[in-house]
Amino acid sequence: MELFVQLLANTLQIGSVYVLFALGLTLIFGVMKIINFAHGAFYTAAALIVTSVVPFATATLGLPLWAGYLLAAIAAIAVVLCLGALVYSLGFQYVLKDLNGSFILSIGLLLVLNGAYLAIYGGAPRSVPQILPGTISIFGATLTAQRLALVIVAAIVTGGLYLLIERTRLGLALRAVAQDQEAAMLQGMPYRRVALYGFMIGAGLAACAGVLMAPINAVTPVSGDEFLIKAFIIIIIGGLGSVAGAIVGGLFIAVVESVGGYFFDPSTATLAMFILVIVFLLVRPQGILGNAE
Amino acid sequence: MDTVNSVRLLGAAALSLLLAQGAQAQETLKLGLSVPLSGAAATWGLGMEWAAEQAVERVNAEGGVTANGKTYMFDVVAYDNKYSATEGARNAQTMLNRDGVKFIAGAIGTAPVRAMQALTERNGVILFSTAWGKSVKGPEYPYTFTQMNTPFEILEPFYTFIKKQHPDLATAVLISPNDATGQELEPVAVETWKGLGVEMLASDWYERGTTEFQPIATKIASLNPDLVDFSAAPPTDVGSILKELDVLGWDGVKVMSAGTSVDALTAVAGEAAEGAYLGASADFDSETATDVQRELNANARKALGEPLNGITISSYDAIMALRAAILAADSVDPTKVKDVLPSVRFESSYGPSGFGGEAVYGYPQQMLIPVIVTQVENGKAVELTRNNPAELEALLND
Repeated sequence: MELFVQLLANTLQIGSVYVLFALGLTLIFGVMKIINFAHGAFYTAAALIVTSVVPFATATLGLPLWAGYLLAAIAAIAVVLCLGALVYSLGFQYVLKDLNGSFILSIGLLLVLNGAYLAIYGGAPRSVPQILPGTISIFGATLTAQRLALVIVAAIVTGGLYLLIERTRLGLALRAVAQDQEAAMLQGMPYRRVALYGFMIGAGLAACAGVLMAPINAVTPVSGDEFLIKAFIIIIIGGLGSVAGAIVGGLFIAVVESVGGYFFDPSTATLAMFILVIVFLLVRPQGILGNAE
Repeated sequence: MDTVNSVRLLGAAALSLLLAQGAQAQETLKLGLSVPLSGAAATWGLGMEWAAEQAVERVNAEGGVTANGKTYMFDVVAYDNKYSATEGARNAQTMLNRDGVKFIAGAIGTAPVRAMQALTERNGVILFSTAWGKSVKGPEYPYTFTQMNTPFEILEPFYTFIKKQHPDLATAVLISPNDATGQELEPVAVETWKGLGVEMLASDWYERGTTEFQPIATKIASLNPDLVDFSAAPPTDVGSILKELDVLGWDGVKVMSAGTSVDALTAVAGEAAEGAYLGASADFDSETATDVQRELNANARKALGEPLNGITISSYDAIMALRAAILAADSVDPTKVKDVLPSVRFESSYGPSGFGGEAVYGYPQQMLIPVIVTQVENGKAVELTRNNPAELEALLND
């Protein structure tokens, strides 16, 4: 029993980051009909900023660790949103609904940003002190307070996004554009502005994931790229462009990784994910909750 | 002097300056490095690049290396191989075809080294590597030399020492990265532990680039072995697993055969890294270290923010070996240098050294240096013991 609770806890810990990361990617695809290969660079930027602002805030400004982290989180999300606005206005707005163009643009952007991170921060792994030290035991499963906080914050952010999509005018516009862009425009919706909002929300979600993971994992200039592959698997399985699909897909992949990694080994679990993608592409290419077009 | 003559004079001066520069450029020997400069293993690549620069600085400050009446200055060009075969092959193409590199003073990772060998052996380019795989060595790879100890030198004395420290060790779990390095190390590790009477409860694999280590940690904790051997896993990955194991309450013997960077390990694992045994690290501040190592280590701390280890310092030793071989061959022709390297004697950072390993690999291409066992104590690598291989002892007594 304890083992299954631990595996469930592992699944939630792993899944919460995957969901946050994949939500941004799927939202951008849904609204803009592009695949953003540079999405991981937003995650990396946020995590790297946290690793540099926290020591500055605590050592130089004399702030307590939690306040330093809060300041770093705000700075990281703000910088990533500015970066998102910049790359959208300079590049992505010209390749809306253009898979080839966006592919070339986002790969190029990824190389430029990775090179910039390497030049600024160096390649050595960076870390942040644990903000919430200590461990918690729930029904026999053990996890760190930091991880539990991550799961809770990720759930709140995901819930907030769901409410935004379902209950607000912006959400209605995002859904309308995702379903049928021309019809949405005929109804008077400003497509380019809605696309910008979608892109910024996606970048913001990646930044949130980076901010939350910085105190947990070592941060390198390619940290985000390692999540990107999993995020692609998730949105293919969940359904490209589907917010609910990203949540289901993220948790599904987390189950495979957690349970498969335990009963077989992590390499076998990774292999299973790729086989699952192949099966989905052959049998149900629209994914679990995606729309067949 | 009229204007036309002045212009001619200036032109001639400019031309001779250009020619002089051209002649000087031809006397620079480029030494390539193919190392991870990003990702989890970046600390190895960055450290190796820095150590190579120190060696080059020293050689150049001592007047360079003279062969066949010409004096050559060394220069280092480093490329990021991202610890992958694809990047290793790409690096080799760039170094050989674009930069005209004839000597590679350091390459990290069995997979990238294997990919590079296809070009270096065919084109007669000397390749120094830290690759742990046995498959990259042998008479069919005469241009390849290993610049640090590998499992065949490390594991037996390393594991034997640990077993002596913990005579009650009965069970172990081995965690290996699923790549060429891990695959070649795993059977040797399993056999060596078995020979010491330690039962292997599980030998699992994970992919490099893995971000979440809870499933591995959960499995290890449930098996509850006396010891976990992290094989060729880089310090940041091991740090992540140790941190998760600490959360789950496992507190056994931690072994890192490829354990190198203590700072990277403790930066991720914190106190969970305490007590870990490292097979490829070294305390270059200790009394047993040489003056060269202590000086390099002190400067590395300032420049890199962390000390050197068995991998990173190896580019320094490779460059010293190359200098000695070029002098002995009186040539910069890689084929002639390759022919003298197995018998050359040189001053490595560890002291007098040479090459051996013919009995194990079939060709004397293994640099002879001591096997050093260290342990993490208060966040630092503390040297516990060092053993000279028999061939090195014979060389020292020669």
